[in-house]
Amino acid sequence: MALPAAFLAALMDFPGDFASTDATDLATYGRDWTKVHTPAPSLLVRPRSTAEVARFLKLCDAHAVPVVPSGGRTGLAAGAVAAHGEVVLSLERMRAMHPVDVLGQTVRVEAGAVTEAVHAHCALVGLFWPVDFASKGASQVGGNIATNAGGVRVIRYGLTRQWVLGLTVVTAQGEVLELNGALEKNNTGVDLRQLFIGSEGILGVVTEATLKLTRLPDKVDVFLFALDSLQGVLKLFEEARSGPFTVLAYEFFTDACSARLEKHRGVRPPFEAKASHYVLLEVEAAKDGALDVWLAGLFERGLVQDGTLAADSGQARKLWELREAISESLSATGMPHKNDLALPIAALKAFCAELEALLAQRYPGWELCLFGHIGDGNLHVNIMKPEAMGKDEFLAKTHDVDADLMDLVRTHRGSVSAEHGIGLLKRDWLGHSRSPAEIALMRQVKRVLDPQGILNPGKIFPSP
Amino acid sequence: MPLKILVTAKRVEDSESKIKVDAAGTGIVKEGLKYKINPFDEIGVEEALRLVAKHGGEVVVVSVGTKDVHEQLRHALAMGANKAVWVHHDGPIDQLGIAGCLQKVVEKEKPDLCILGKQAIDDDQGQVGQYLAEWLGWAQATFASKEESLESEAEKAKTPAIQLAADGKSITVIREVDGGLLTVSSPLPAVATTELRLNQPRYASLPGIMKAKSKPIEELTPAGLGVDVGVKLTVTKLAPPPARKAGIKVPDVATLVDKLKNEAKAL
Repeated sequence: MALPAAFLAALMDFPGDFASTDATDLATYGRDWTKVHTPAPSLLVRPRSTAEVARFLKLCDAHAVPVVPSGGRTGLAAGAVAAHGEVVLSLERMRAMHPVDVLGQTVRVEAGAVTEAVHAHCALVGLFWPVDFASKGASQVGGNIATNAGGVRVIRYGLTRQWVLGLTVVTAQGEVLELNGALEKNNTGVDLRQLFIGSEGILGVVTEATLKLTRLPDKVDVFLFALDSLQGVLKLFEEARSGPFTVLAYEFFTDACSARLEKHRGVRPPFEAKASHYVLLEVEAAKDGALDVWLAGLFERGLVQDGTLAADSGQARKLWELREAISESLSATGMPHKNDLALPIAALKAFCAELEALLAQRYPGWELCLFGHIGDGNLHVNIMKPEAMGKDEFLAKTHDVDADLMDLVRTHRGSVSAEHGIGLLKRDWLGHSRSPAEIALMRQVKRVLDPQGILNPGKIFPSP
Repeated sequence: MPLKILVTAKRVEDSESKIKVDAAGTGIVKEGLKYKINPFDEIGVEEALRLVAKHGGEVVVVSVGTKDVHEQLRHALAMGANKAVWVHHDGPIDQLGIAGCLQKVVEKEKPDLCILGKQAIDDDQGQVGQYLAEWLGWAQATFASKEESLESEAEKAKTPAIQLAADGKSITVIREVDGGLLTVSSPLPAVATTELRLNQPRYASLPGIMKAKSKPIEELTPAGLGVDVGVKLTVTKLAPPPARKAGIKVPDVATLVDKLKNEAKAL
């Protein structure tokens, strides 16, 4: 779409480097980690302060110019994609981090602060923001909040939502809301902050946040196990739940993932024999004697084929690489169709059995890469595009199979998107996880906060 | 022909720990540090395990120090070493003292081959292997490396890089020299020291880790071995590298080019 002339004229009131129409900028900032849509934003703007964001959104609202809020663009549901002439509002210049409040265990940061930079900033005083996932080197705090990001520590620490105390949010009409400050306790009516966390940028733009921190775990052990089936992975999870330690992470991946990983990064699990399934288990405060008994039990009962324990932090990092580099390796070596499913833990066993049957039947001979945070009931089901197949045929076929897959998820009362969000990619399946009444309410809330519908239009549900 | 191989497992600071010089300026702050086996020694353990996997035999791992070194001995045992010898010494010790203890352990254990790290990553002295060979009167093949890369099929198959002659009486070792490779041969018994490119050590398997807990660790002392561990070489000063100057932001490309040209002289 062509931007209104009056809007463009008013842009002159902003700093000289505020906006860009450079073709490379537009192509870069118009997309996230998905490859499905062709980026086509009309403009990129990069404000330096909340006041500037507010002034800009007021202008957009006055001229009904659609805006896509944008962070590290590591999303996997096309929630930050601008494919229809929107203005991309990148928060990347707002990356200031205030000194850590060590006593209060909080830190105030701007939305563009990179997750890993926040970790490093807090680690200096022995504290930790436990929102942690593979894309932490690029993802930003604002995006983590807008998507209520999950990741590899959810089993121990929960989602992003649990680690955000206060928010500064700019509404579509340019109003600045200060929500909750740095308070742990504040029972004073409806907690509006929670409305914006996980709203995928359709209700407001997060510009700053006060994050809740915790102490770095003391003694951490990282194990990698080799197993022979998905059911074995679930059985081992049962054992880990009652093991003599606190589980920090329980992640699994299949041999298909590991083959792609070896192709892309040249690394592979450190076992003599190949296995079909691998589990990465990270635990805190393991009790030595009891741990030995627990481990011996696994081998005596044949629950695992093989296993290793990282001897030092270098080995621990290398074991984590096997899990964390999967997503990147799949995209680098092919075109994955991603499903990010969540199931109640109690339904996992039955679901997984039916899932394997469904995939085998509907994708005979296809390459399936399964991995995920199975300890949270979260499975990443990746279907790789066969080399010879065209992109359109592939998308049509996967959409067709998704209908069955999502029906299966609904039957087991799961979620069609565990942590990636809905964005553009999962809109068709929103109704599988949320009721018509819920969706109608979401739309009403959207209308109250963004009457003109300028914020991230078309994400979560189609624009009216 | 089965081989008996003696390897070492020095306890060193984990290189991922933050190392700070202490107030006296002669040592480091030990608080909050993590420890691991000297990576060069770990390569020695791996090479020994590969050799005995191919030719049969046994691997004996030795460490000198406080009871803490049991962690490193157990690690080598978990990787697959058969037994461990702990030379119990709680005070300060230098390279002469350590080599002296090792010499006595070698005379007791009578291995065909000793494989040591070419140096330890804590003080980078690189002396022990050489003293040991000298005092035993054995030949030494230092800085053992190999021709194949660490990504090669031979490496994946855990093929030993140190070659044992068909009659089992000598070894061949490849060494890296400036711009090429040097192959040396030595009769056994001999001492070899390891370079980083010799192999990639295996991860200890969980069954290995559990088995290691019941493998024997023999305790000896310098006095019992008749070794004088009086320190001759002392550290008089330890200086950290100069701190990096903070970076600056330049307003535009022209300033950047100017600074690169005139200040950094990089252009």
